[in-house]
Amino acid sequence: MIKFALLGAGRIGKMHANNIALNPLSDLEILYDINRNASKELSDIHNCKIAKSAEEAINNEKVDAVVISSATPTHIEYILLAAKANKAIFCEKPIDLDIKKVDQCKKDLKKYNVPIHIGFNRRFDLSHRSLKNAKDKGEIGDLEMIVISDRDAVAPSVEFLKNAGGLFRDKTVHDFDLTRFILGNKDPIVEIFAYGENLFCQSAKQTDDLDTAMFIMKSQSGILCHINNSRRAVYGYDQRIEILGSKGMIISDNQTPTSIKKFNKDMNKAEIPIYYFFQERYDQAYKHQLNIFIDCIINNKPTLVNFEDGRIALIIANAAYESLNTGKSVKIKYY
Amino acid sequence: MLKFSLLGVGRIGKMHAQNIAINPNCELEYVYDVNNPAAEKIAKEIDCKIAKSPEEAISSSNVDVVYIATATPTHIDYILQAANAGKAIFCEKPIDLDIKKVEACKKELEKYNVPVHIGFNRRFDPSHKSAKEAKDSGEIGKLEKIIITSRDPSPPGIDYLKDSGGMYRDMTIHDFDLMHYILGNDPIEKVFATGSILFDEDCKEINDMDTAMIVMRSRSGVLCHINNSRRAVYGYDQRVEIFGSKGMVISDNQTPSSLQKFTNKITKAQEPIHYFFIERYKEAYKIQLQVFIDNILNNKPTAVNFDDGRNALIVANGALESYQSGKFIKINY
Repeated sequence: MIKFALLGAGRIGKMHANNIALNPLSDLEILYDINRNASKELSDIHNCKIAKSAEEAINNEKVDAVVISSATPTHIEYILLAAKANKAIFCEKPIDLDIKKVDQCKKDLKKYNVPIHIGFNRRFDLSHRSLKNAKDKGEIGDLEMIVISDRDAVAPSVEFLKNAGGLFRDKTVHDFDLTRFILGNKDPIVEIFAYGENLFCQSAKQTDDLDTAMFIMKSQSGILCHINNSRRAVYGYDQRIEILGSKGMIISDNQTPTSIKKFNKDMNKAEIPIYYFFQERYDQAYKHQLNIFIDCIINNKPTLVNFEDGRIALIIANAAYESLNTGKSVKIKYY
Repeated sequence: MLKFSLLGVGRIGKMHAQNIAINPNCELEYVYDVNNPAAEKIAKEIDCKIAKSPEEAISSSNVDVVYIATATPTHIDYILQAANAGKAIFCEKPIDLDIKKVEACKKELEKYNVPVHIGFNRRFDPSHKSAKEAKDSGEIGKLEKIIITSRDPSPPGIDYLKDSGGMYRDMTIHDFDLMHYILGNDPIEKVFATGSILFDEDCKEINDMDTAMIVMRSRSGVLCHINNSRRAVYGYDQRVEIFGSKGMVISDNQTPSSLQKFTNKITKAQEPIHYFFIERYKEAYKIQLQVFIDNILNNKPTAVNFDDGRNALIVANGALESYQSGKFIKINY
């Protein structure tokens, strides 16, 4: 039984708490949130202890693993505290929005030897995983193109956006990570072109951010990768992946909550809207991600998404901003 | 009854000949091809005259329309001859691969007043047209993104490629035109293009590419993406996705029949999509011809004109400049 400390009882923290409770191999031992009401509410549901500080939660002797789902500026601090306390670490993306801080954290982590998992949950989605597995088995032959569409149903608020680091660091990082997941570690992304506009989103306008963006990346072997993002898709949370290879193509398509189809004088085979929110669309992915994390701890295996994956996603996002600002394709420097 | 002279009876010319023959509003008067046996075969099938030279086909007093489906280097010459002879002109894309020649032709054409239609047939595909209409009617609200996927089933071979002008001018040019068709009065303003050679060794010889991706921005800020491949084993992939403030429409691929298979290994598997452009765009080519005829008979401007051909080439050249420089290039029309 892996005992967890949860830091951050917000939207995502609540979901992690629920998944920890549901998983037969884990237990929520203690939690901490800067907002005492949030802490109390969640601890009542899961019948766990409330810590008076993050340090108390992390250092609790029963705790094996720490889930960090607090505000981004606390991530590095909690990572290092947890590493020092020899706890396994699950940290929600991003590690931080400042690459210098991330690089420093990487250095500081060298003294410790704990499993660290960065929460890029989409890799654990059954549909996306099946696509990647089919590719790895050779079903589409040699990979040639990746096309990812990632669009929110509804744009986030000004409060959220002002601390999010911009579209590329907040949202597109998921797609950069997914691209790397599909390419595999032996074929890194070497070049990126990025462009975006603010076409409709008031909250993005107020925070000097973009709401619509497109990217083209090239891998070391020449594979071309396209990402397109939007902060608003009225028809739902659009999460499509398409891969083209020498032997065919595979698409991981959107999903609807039910499988009913409607036929009338106005339409043929109309389905209900796709899932609206990431919590629904990726419910199973979050649960599976936790499973894998627990498995890594119990069986002493390397985490499937590690600190370096988090660092690289940020590096790519920064290169994307450089491309946006210079109007050129940018070669990515990882070190 | 409009009388046509058809120049060129290769793969595309043959198809045009058949469409002209079955259309009740027109008739094939002359065919011409450098390959005389090919011309003879068509003339026998369709019962029309064989011209001994393009000049004969173009300047015959019986003829109303000149249909140009010959090799690209002949296009401008035939366009100008036909214009000089007062004939309406239908010319397969491209006008030419050299923008300087296209500009000179444009200037020369100002002396004449004949309808010129450039054969960007995809605009006439019922499915793509419906997608565009959904945008025009406001059904998807304000346009924000366009994504075009355009992939051939197999590479055309070195003999074709070496005279094609390269990926952007030969293949992507259709997609640049489709973009302009969808955007309407909102031209492509900036283009970034790149490409790779991933499977077609022939491309290496001639400095071409077999896989390409392009991102563009329209004047109003609509973001556009095109991806091309010279080889999609599953067929001729021709998808158009239009995304706006009120929704999205996708003009998807089509299969010859509506069969679906269910076994212990697969669910809802269709047969492969149409293999190549003649099957996939069969209707579009027929509709294009009818629209062309309607425009001539009713003295209306052609649906796809010389400037459309010129603009598509200009964007293609911008794409090439972008690829070579790695920059987001501004298009100057």
